Amino acid sequence: MSIKVGDIFPDAVLTYVPYDAKNPEACGLPQQLKTHAAFKGKKVVLFAVPGAFTPTCSEEHMPGYVQSVGEMKRKGADIVACVASNDQFVMHAWGKSYNVKDDILMLSDANGDLGSALGLVNDGTARRMGPIRLARFAIIIDDLKVVYVGVEPAPGVTVSGAPAVIAKL
Amino acid sequence: MAIKVGDEFPQVQLKYVPYDAAAPDACGAPQLLDTKNNLEGKKVVLVGVPGAFTPTCSAKHLPPFVAKADELKAKGVDLIVCVSGNDFFVMDAWGKQEKVTDKILMAGDANGDLGRATGLSIDLSVAGLGAVRLTRFAAIVDSGKVIHLGVEPDPTEVTVTGADSILSAL
Repeated sequence: MSIKVGDIFPDAVLTYVPYDAKNPEACGLPQQLKTHAAFKGKKVVLFAVPGAFTPTCSEEHMPGYVQSVGEMKRKGADIVACVASNDQFVMHAWGKSYNVKDDILMLSDANGDLGSALGLVNDGTARRMGPIRLARFAIIIDDLKVVYVGVEPAPGVTVSGAPAVIAKL
Repeated sequence: MAIKVGDEFPQVQLKYVPYDAAAPDACGAPQLLDTKNNLEGKKVVLVGVPGAFTPTCSAKHLPPFVAKADELKAKGVDLIVCVSGNDFFVMDAWGKQEKVTDKILMAGDANGDLGRATGLSIDLSVAGLGAVRLTRFAAIVDSGKVIHLGVEPDPTEVTVTGADSILSAL
């Protein structure tokens, strides 16, 4: 059973490589992000993609957020984060390719803990993408409470896209 | 038990995005690489890395193979394949960043098949990289038989798995 509006967002440990403004080309040291500690008291837009560097994610999903992150923050989002089953080095490299700096937190759920806790994980082995892949979704969390869930029902970007999220902020 | 010199290289299917010289930045259609059928009769250097875009792999391991690819081919190597536990889209993007063009085939083993079949998988969940990753290795496979194998004792280093080490084994 997957997460729904009204639920408390699960506490999971994700990893990321922080952006270093002084050293933007460096590959910094990975850090852990514990969702409860990091998201408490904040309004968070969290969108998930099946795979960094994959066509739909790269061409249709991520660019919308890169373009609208400023608008989301003006509408009250404290944190805008992207999460995928790729590891933190891959997420960091993908974020760099869009020049996101620290506007969008690029998070890794490589062990699948968050995906399992949300009930939003798929098996990608048939496409040779590995057994743990997050579904495509967007969630708005307000002080740890889920206030919007858009899980993409089919290939493509609709309810999990930036415009859908902005409309709900 | 891990693979060793003299063994037949296992048959698994990896996936990769072929390099298209006419459209080098395009994300082409992925292809399967069958380690038995597609490598039949060939001398192949297979380089395993724990992770694309990771510091050691990006700084120390892959670039020398790119730089020395022609030298390796002059010594009889038909194909150089770099493989990791990342998926093939990630390997393609990493290859593009490292400008490998058509010198090295960048393959993904996201399902962990090669890792399990060779016994060269390593659990890197504590580093946030997942439970079935390839350890750092370099193998020479000739007509399906492993004739040289270097497995890095410390996967954060590059010694017996580096390009120079493979060149001297050819």
